Amino acid sequence: MSNFDLSISPAQIEFVLKPGVTITQAYTIINNSTTPLYLDTKVLPWYPTGDDGSVNYQNILPNPKISFSLANANLQLEKPFTIPSQGSQQLVLKIKTDSTADLGDAYYTFFIYQNQNTIKSDNTSAQATGQIGSHILLSISQSEIQTASGNVKKFSITPKIKDVFFTPINFTGDIQNNTNYFFKTTGRITITKNNQTIKEINLDPSNVLAHHYRRLNCQENIGCILNPPLWPGHYTATLSFDENIKVPPSSVSFYVFPFSPIIFFIFIGAIFSCFKFFKKFWKPSK
Amino acid sequence: MNKKFFILFLVLFLFCPQKTLSQTFTSPTYQIQWGNFNMTGGRKTSNNYILTDSVGQNAPGQFDNTGFIIKSGFQYAYEQQKPFSFNINSLDINLGTLAAGVASTQSNIITITTPSGNGYQVSAIADKPLTIVSTNITIPDTGCDSNDCDKTTSTTWTNNSKYGFGFNVIGIDSSLVATGVGTSNYFTDSTYFRPFAATSKSDNPQIIMSENQSATNHSAKITYKAVISGNQSAGNYQNSINFIAIPKY
Repeated sequence: MSNFDLSISPAQIEFVLKPGVTITQAYTIINNSTTPLYLDTKVLPWYPTGDDGSVNYQNILPNPKISFSLANANLQLEKPFTIPSQGSQQLVLKIKTDSTADLGDAYYTFFIYQNQNTIKSDNTSAQATGQIGSHILLSISQSEIQTASGNVKKFSITPKIKDVFFTPINFTGDIQNNTNYFFKTTGRITITKNNQTIKEINLDPSNVLAHHYRRLNCQENIGCILNPPLWPGHYTATLSFDENIKVPPSSVSFYVFPFSPIIFFIFIGAIFSCFKFFKKFWKPSK
Repeated sequence: MNKKFFILFLVLFLFCPQKTLSQTFTSPTYQIQWGNFNMTGGRKTSNNYILTDSVGQNAPGQFDNTGFIIKSGFQYAYEQQKPFSFNINSLDINLGTLAAGVASTQSNIITITTPSGNGYQVSAIADKPLTIVSTNITIPDTGCDSNDCDKTTSTTWTNNSKYGFGFNVIGIDSSLVATGVGTSNYFTDSTYFRPFAATSKSDNPQIIMSENQSATNHSAKITYKAVISGNQSAGNYQNSINFIAIPKY
């Protein structure tokens, strides 16, 4: 039974390039399959879709001022090669920019894909093939450091009114990049009560691509949440970014009320009242 | 007092190293001088945990400042080393000899691992519907029970009088128990199916599994299902299905 088990490293590269510069990047491709894999390579441009880091390869023309090739002596882009079972291959991708390349970002994926195999079965059957990619984020600029600026497109809290116990507070937000270059969401959500910081949640440094937006992720890897128990009162959550990212901070408020303790005491009081009420009619048997 | 210092000096002299050790690797074209030695390190495992450690190195940790982040230390090398990997456990999806009104199913498992900080998306596209190549006769795409599923929308398909070819994807754990992790946005449960997008119809690959957080050995079971009518021509219907795994940027 043949399988496909391929890995690529690095999974993503990010470069700032001056127009006219050529760079190379080595990729390690490992075939962990039980059989040799017949592979091919290609580089496709993409644009971001949605706010979660998804991409789309349709209806986008490659930039003629940026070209790709393999620097390996025995391999060429879009030409097949084989990696034996449990073997590896280093692919050296050369990225060349034209001196007249437009300033701004360009995004690509370096794909390694399985050549279509001939189906050998005599039954009705489908043949699965695998394809794996590594993203290339290029910023073509005359300056090494880009100015990052944007705005908080959305910053919200659910629920806005909650009990001191039980469900956590969820923070969600989108940040918009208003520049021609991507930047990372380095910042934090600071939760304060009575001007005292209760908790700081660091943002995961996700890429916000040029003139696009990105949903905020937090470094705890479990979502941007504040777990109960919380003292009753008025809280403020402020989303702020590091100094190098020119994005105005955004704040929202939420309230915590002692609903469950009040309900608990009402319940206890009701039971006590019932007990007293029925005690009047209860006569112990002699 | 002097006697105590003398004894201390003697002990240090006898038991401490007499010279500082470092390591140098050389070849005719390069020399690497290692300036940092840890005292212990490695990868320890138990049934429930994997621990990697480096003890004793200088100034490990994350150092932040305006415009840059330095992640200093050997442990951060793991972030760089972890590759993006994709596994399809079986490439041959043999549905056998199809019988009218009887669902033929087959399944395989895809598994994905991403580096720290990267989610992933897996897309799928067929070259064409299941087809007898010599005659170009096809098994139609499933419309599911209510003729309301398509290449982007999955709905229930349990009625074997509804003919066609489709697939389901459901996230599973290491014990092969359905969890829906990574797939619940695309397939509610294992009764939900949809047809493949196909390049022969100028379709684009459709996402079938994705997560926004990094994943280690996250798996999904893909179930392929074909049901034919009594009028379906006999023959071997075949196609090719490409699964595309990419990280989230």
